[in-house]
Amino acid sequence: MSLEKPRPSTTDHVGVTEQGLDYEALADLLGDLVVGRESHINAEGFVVRPERVAEALGRLKQQAGFDHCSCVTAQEYDDRFESIYHLKKYADPTQEVSVVVPTSRDDPRSQSGNSVFRTADWHEREAYDLMGITYDEHPDLRRILLPETWQGHPLRMDYDQEQPQVVTFREHANPLKEDHREDDADTMFVNVGPHHPATHGVLHLKTVLDGETVADVDPDIGYLHRCEEQMCQQSTYRHQIMPYPDRWDYISAGILNEWAYARAAEDLAGLEVPEYAQVIRTMSAEMCRIAAHLLALGTFALDVYGDFTAIFMYSTRDREVVQNLLEDLTGQRLMFNYLRLGGVAWDLPEPREEYFEKVRDFLDDLPAKLEEYHDLVTGNEIFQLRCVNTGVLEPDVAKSYGATGPVARGSGIDYDLRRDDPYGYYPELDWDVVTEDGCDNYSRVLVRMKEIEESAKIIGQCVDLLEEWPEEEREIQSNVPRTLKPDNDTEVYRAVEAAKGELGIYMRSDGTDTPARFKIRSPCFSNLQTLPEMSTGEYIPDLIASLGSLDIVLGEVDR
Amino acid sequence: MNWGLLQQANNSTNGSGNGTNATNASGGMGGGEVQTLPDTLASLLGLGDGPLVTFVMGIVAAGLVASFLLTLVAVSGIWGKRKITAAFTDRIAVNRHGPFGLLIIVADAVRLLSKELIVPDGADRPAYDIAPIIMVSSALLGFAVIPMGSGIQLADPEAGLVYVFAVASIASVGLVTAGYASNNKFSFLGGLRAVAQNIAYEIPLVVTAASVVIFAGSLRMSEIVAAQSATLVSLGPVSIPAWYAFVNPFAFVLFVAANLAEVGRNPFDVPEAPTEIVAGWQTEYSSVYFVLCYLSEFIHIFLGGAIIATLFLGGPAGPGPEALGFVWFVLKMLAVYLFTQWARSAVPRVRIDQLIEIGWKGMLVLSFANLLLTAVIVGVAF
Repeated sequence: MSLEKPRPSTTDHVGVTEQGLDYEALADLLGDLVVGRESHINAEGFVVRPERVAEALGRLKQQAGFDHCSCVTAQEYDDRFESIYHLKKYADPTQEVSVVVPTSRDDPRSQSGNSVFRTADWHEREAYDLMGITYDEHPDLRRILLPETWQGHPLRMDYDQEQPQVVTFREHANPLKEDHREDDADTMFVNVGPHHPATHGVLHLKTVLDGETVADVDPDIGYLHRCEEQMCQQSTYRHQIMPYPDRWDYISAGILNEWAYARAAEDLAGLEVPEYAQVIRTMSAEMCRIAAHLLALGTFALDVYGDFTAIFMYSTRDREVVQNLLEDLTGQRLMFNYLRLGGVAWDLPEPREEYFEKVRDFLDDLPAKLEEYHDLVTGNEIFQLRCVNTGVLEPDVAKSYGATGPVARGSGIDYDLRRDDPYGYYPELDWDVVTEDGCDNYSRVLVRMKEIEESAKIIGQCVDLLEEWPEEEREIQSNVPRTLKPDNDTEVYRAVEAAKGELGIYMRSDGTDTPARFKIRSPCFSNLQTLPEMSTGEYIPDLIASLGSLDIVLGEVDR
Repeated sequence: MNWGLLQQANNSTNGSGNGTNATNASGGMGGGEVQTLPDTLASLLGLGDGPLVTFVMGIVAAGLVASFLLTLVAVSGIWGKRKITAAFTDRIAVNRHGPFGLLIIVADAVRLLSKELIVPDGADRPAYDIAPIIMVSSALLGFAVIPMGSGIQLADPEAGLVYVFAVASIASVGLVTAGYASNNKFSFLGGLRAVAQNIAYEIPLVVTAASVVIFAGSLRMSEIVAAQSATLVSLGPVSIPAWYAFVNPFAFVLFVAANLAEVGRNPFDVPEAPTEIVAGWQTEYSSVYFVLCYLSEFIHIFLGGAIIATLFLGGPAGPGPEALGFVWFVLKMLAVYLFTQWARSAVPRVRIDQLIEIGWKGMLVLSFANLLLTAVIVGVAF
């Protein structure tokens, strides 16, 4: 079947056995670095001394093959602070391990993992910003989401919310000031954003130009930070959290995001999801993916073509069709709030036949439309001139930064959680994971366009299944308690393949009906981190094109 | 430089053609038999032809032509552009104000003019104010020598074509002035890009035009038009005129492409490049100044269309009586305008280094090859 992944022989990695991961072998590998063990739902955790983090991560990466630092979670207990490095393998993301680093309350200080995984840079900055853990040997430890002048660390228990904050516009104090990096260099500092036609939201790129080429670029994020994690921590598992995921990646990828929470929470609480609901979830999620990718294509065209081109309007027009289908299903166009723990909110709209017909009409029209896009976009010679071999992201660099989704697949990394860490109804369906080896802007566009075709294949199969589903077996939700109170101190990290890549949720329960810690691993956050690698030394237009090809949504970057 | 190139081309024509060029002979170099619009006005009013009368009538005629152009820009720039772009992008566009939404022109004009004029801190004041005026006037001045048919031509100097290119390229000065005077880094980048682009594309443009001059044997606009009135081939009842677009399609394509760069439209809109450098040189212009910038862009597009129509599409020639010439001319100009909007809707923008490379390594070489070829053909055939 097409879903079979050509698995590389990873047996030379420590801990890999036929039965799965042998954590004892990993413990032996880490040896005296391990001072304790924890058991999370998704993986075993090794407790490591704060001053030997890089060594532990390094051994796991080099000798055990854990090349994907998916997320870094910082949290606070009554007696300690803790950073958790969630490690996975690009070759097989079901092989997971957590590296738990406790630090003292008085002086939370641990070693940075940046020397092993470049992606730890931003993740640790976020941990420092929100939780106040200091990472030694970090190259650039400063606040990332909040302004430089912020007082206190807002996710700490003792944080005083009433405390007045003074936020200056210091970075904009004098945008015209002279900026010479070296004594005789003719470089020029330019603020690209936060209000700029190409940043697709409030992103601020501190850019240093040398003529028309980019000498240095430093993304400044956090303009759209809405304390999503904290809001989720104050909400109950059962109903109150589900609306929030719609607001992370709000480019019509809502159901994909909801699924990330649903998957994590269902694993945390041990809930079953009826098969019928899984099929509906799979279908609606792929509709969201098509809508998201169409918009990504249209806005990328904006960046490369100029404003108000045919492509942008065409993709908006075609996206509208999917939006209507989703509206029929969920009653909403933007904030769907359709999934529920243990299933979905309600069944397909009546009359069912009419709805299936609409979906089929959409699927039938799609190939011709995609052909048109290929004529207009990917077949255009100027477009190829602009996109081929620009914004190059080598696979090993992409892996080090934790890039996932179309960005990773455009760099030839065969990684898709729908297949590699199966959930929903995906394993039962016939579809392919799209990869391109170009590593450039062009490949990323191609991957998205081909993924639209694959999503259409999935939707088509789901419609066939739903149509023949016996009426008495249409169970849309399993039996879920009215109030969910997972056992005290249960921890889970689960991810799904969202529109932009791996969207992961870490949750720790404390025995109440709200999570003690809710951490969102945003794919855009990690993907955006690769921008300086892609665009330093290239031209300004390529910087803009690369940014567009990353397809970030600031709502998800800043959360 | 333009002048020198064209002179050279002209001389070489005379040399190689050796006076046998038919059009050359029929047109003559010294005559001024074409009646210009000021003359017509003067004679209609029975005012004789003193220098004062010529001066006053020249002003009046220029006012008439400029008013027409501004009206054309208002209709096509504010209303037509939206409708055309909407048609390309599957939308409806303005349709609420007046018939076909035409009253949006009034609404937009009022809106734009009533906006606050924000002058950035540290702008180089006289230069910042003058730049938009330079750009608009350079485009308008070009129309002085364009034969628009039905007897509408303000002047018909011997070096008409050179004059058009000379005044049109004054706009580059306006662009760079606007760029640096705005005290904005995006404007600055845009201004520099505009100058680099204009230099890279002006030369192929002028050299390609020179190949037309070789054919026509004259720089005088009216004679270039007259030279295209002959019949190229007759297909039964339909006779195809000897427009230079048909005689030398290669030069026509080159010229149209270079003209896209000259007016800064996709794929060559890098001086503005909205998604890269916000709005390029016009980032800091608002209200009336913005209107002037906008106006100059559109008049430049129309001037480009007028030059293309005159050099390659037989000027005001078309079926029907000669009095309809003006209509045909405007239609040809609008066709070129439509083409620029089409390109804008569907063609990606090239990168600045690619743009310069296409200009210097591609277009320049091709245009000189075209010039040489034309000179050889004219020398051998006539």
